[in-house]
Amino acid sequence: MKISYNWLQNYFKEKLPTPEKISEGIIFHSFEVEEVEEIKNDTIFDIKILPDRAHDCLSHWGIAKEISDIFDLKIKNKEYKVFESKQTNLKIEIQDEKCLRYMGRVIRNIKVTESPIWLKEKLNAIGQKSINNIVDAANFVMFDLGQPIHSFDLDKLESEKIIIRNGVLGEKLTTLDNKEVNLDESILVISDEKDPLVIAGIKGGTKAEVDNNTKNIVIEVANFNPTTTRKTAKKINILTDAVKRYENEISSELAEIAMNSIAEMIVSLSGGEVENIVDIYPKKVEQRFVVVSVNYINKRLGSFFSKEEIESVWKKLNFTYTEDNGEFKIEIPYLRIDLVYPYDLVEEVIRILGYDRLEEKLPEFKLESKINESFSKMLQAREKLLSDGYSEVMTYAFRDKGEVEVLASASDKKFLRTNLTDGLLESLKLNQLNAPLLEMKEIKIFEIGTVFFKDREEMHVAYNEKKPTSTRGDSSTRGGNIVEVLLEDFVLKTSDIFSSGPRSSSQIVSPSEIEARPDHSEKASDAFKKFVPWSIYPFISRDVAVWMPEGESKDELKKILIENGSELLVKEPYLFDSFTKDGKTSYAYRLVFQSYDRTLTDIEVSDIMTKINQKIVEKTNWQIR
Amino acid sequence: MDNQEIKKNKGREHPLSVVINEAVNFFTSLGFEVATGPELEDIWHNFDALNVPKDHPARDMQDTFYVKGEDGKVLRTHTSSVQIRFMENFAKSGKTPPFAIIAPGKCFRNEATDATHEMQFYQIEGLLIGEDINMANLKGILSSFYKKMLGDDTNLRFRPSFFPFTEPSIEFDLKYKGKWIEMGGAGMVNPKVLENCGIDSEKYQGFAFGPGLERLMVIKYVMPDIRPAHHGDLRFNQI
Repeated sequence: MKISYNWLQNYFKEKLPTPEKISEGIIFHSFEVEEVEEIKNDTIFDIKILPDRAHDCLSHWGIAKEISDIFDLKIKNKEYKVFESKQTNLKIEIQDEKCLRYMGRVIRNIKVTESPIWLKEKLNAIGQKSINNIVDAANFVMFDLGQPIHSFDLDKLESEKIIIRNGVLGEKLTTLDNKEVNLDESILVISDEKDPLVIAGIKGGTKAEVDNNTKNIVIEVANFNPTTTRKTAKKINILTDAVKRYENEISSELAEIAMNSIAEMIVSLSGGEVENIVDIYPKKVEQRFVVVSVNYINKRLGSFFSKEEIESVWKKLNFTYTEDNGEFKIEIPYLRIDLVYPYDLVEEVIRILGYDRLEEKLPEFKLESKINESFSKMLQAREKLLSDGYSEVMTYAFRDKGEVEVLASASDKKFLRTNLTDGLLESLKLNQLNAPLLEMKEIKIFEIGTVFFKDREEMHVAYNEKKPTSTRGDSSTRGGNIVEVLLEDFVLKTSDIFSSGPRSSSQIVSPSEIEARPDHSEKASDAFKKFVPWSIYPFISRDVAVWMPEGESKDELKKILIENGSELLVKEPYLFDSFTKDGKTSYAYRLVFQSYDRTLTDIEVSDIMTKINQKIVEKTNWQIR
Repeated sequence: MDNQEIKKNKGREHPLSVVINEAVNFFTSLGFEVATGPELEDIWHNFDALNVPKDHPARDMQDTFYVKGEDGKVLRTHTSSVQIRFMENFAKSGKTPPFAIIAPGKCFRNEATDATHEMQFYQIEGLLIGEDINMANLKGILSSFYKKMLGDDTNLRFRPSFFPFTEPSIEFDLKYKGKWIEMGGAGMVNPKVLENCGIDSEKYQGFAFGPGLERLMVIKYVMPDIRPAHHGDLRFNQI
């Protein structure tokens, strides 16, 4: 949620620490701060508030309280205007328990106008548009206190009676955005004696819309069942800031302070006469207490905090508590719906004191190493294939066709693969093209992975095999045959390689028995082989083969190739063939040219090769083949 | 053939595999056992048992792949589902904690792909439950793990966060080559999760973690982009 630094400052008499310090404090004691943006005269924090604190911290007040706890700053005591008692004829009837509390209040003789600049600025700072003073005031209170507010034009209602009921199949409501919604009995609505006016907790309808001519309004400050509100919002596909708060279960105890705030604000912005509140609160939330002991806290954290230190946390959080022999009974603030069990309080202790207070202690436990068959088989198969010269690839599980389809995929591929072969064939083609770059005479690849069928998933092994050579020995058909089998079958077929005697079927090779791979781990970080990104532009490869007297070193030839190959050589020229005949040895090198920022031309490369050939010709006892 | 020749004829390993196996070896050498589970999971194991109930905003915390025609199935969004499977079996077997498992595995998230995000990725899930396994132990194990994977010049820190299946919940960052990098989430297993699996939460406690492995690979080998990892391109096998 976007939180304004200036708005937060309004809660404190003392000047707040700098935005950087605020951000740091929140990050290490409360929430992730995704962005800190400097705008004209203000700083806006984008704070990631997760479901556990959305009920009390999707608001400036909530964040201000966190800052007060973290920095030990006192929040200003806010006293709201108390209005003279004024009788009201407003009637409220809750017909379904999905409405947890409903406060309604009539304000007469208001004037709908443009909002004052200070209010516009506050809303704009957090990315909200200004509509008019009444709508803006409601928005302000929602972003200030975390309580959604709705207002109706009283004169558009059938009577001064508001009913909270389920919708009726066939009923329709046109929202303020002009979207027509079909109602049914699963959808809670606020209605007058005739028509539905609001989809409760979600969106208001046009019938009772506050417009520029509105003179008398009803303010709604209410609370609704979080689960049903969320379900309905998803069903009708309307997600609002109000829904975001209701679905995270705000406390019904928030309503009073919000009602006082909105009434005061509306009167100050537009004048008006405020009638008495009508408050229907079927089941008042009970005061909760949670008991937690010093021992429990330290045991769970692995810490050694003293009773006093833990008490300091309750004090910082403004909790009322009693203590008896190392056991605290905490009176849980109504708004802290997330604090239910002792372990919830453990988190309060450590986050307030700071996670840097937590030591690093390796756990002590003695357990026999056990073998996981599935994983062990994977290791075995992998080792076998690597030893036989197959290189490991991984391909995507998502394909264009398959038996299992995923919904609303963010990509165009929405099926799960039924085989590894399709992916491996693509990989084979790509790697065969790149063979000169890879310095591989033949491409041998494998993949071990999961494939998915309608009713099950299986672990397969796939690798490519040489096709029986035809009489033409066509290189393009070489290695094009993919073998794919179940992992189990592969392991069974090849397990004799690992046995050193008769083995019972329960003796699976353990990871430690498999020949150790070079240990890449115990090196200084700069010793890890650094990854070399490759160019997206095509490469050109050329071969040079030279006869030289048997016994003469090929290093001289390699030196010439490197020195004259130019900076376009993307790797060191490598030997791919050599043989000796009649007292002479032939050495054949492959040169691979590639640029990181353009496609090379044949002419460029030919020029380089010409130069190389000239240098070779200078060696009188060498012969270019 | 001599050893040199044998080594030369060996196939090239996939860097992600190398990282996965190194990570697994670290934990198995401490006594953790490897656990596995299906990639196409049911909603109980992926959500409900982990204290992520239906119609609760916590389900929005991850972009989930749902399956057409199968309301009860999802592609697992994390390897935490393996925790549940293991614990359920463990409880049924009549054995008592401690137990320690490590579950490397592929997970899926329905989000747009870019240089640091893929739809499929690997996590390594760790779970250690006993009579007095605590959060300082979590810090100790993670710190030790990253020192093994990236060298002694690393530093770990915790930040408060939220997961429905842990309480307290944290995200951990690693200071490496002068910069703080987000590595993953962890926490003390929420007692409700233990109870869901038949483990006595009054007697036993412990932690769970699930860092992503592509992140670790990219950092260790200084890779600009994780996407080539699944292109089947051998140019990627440079380790």
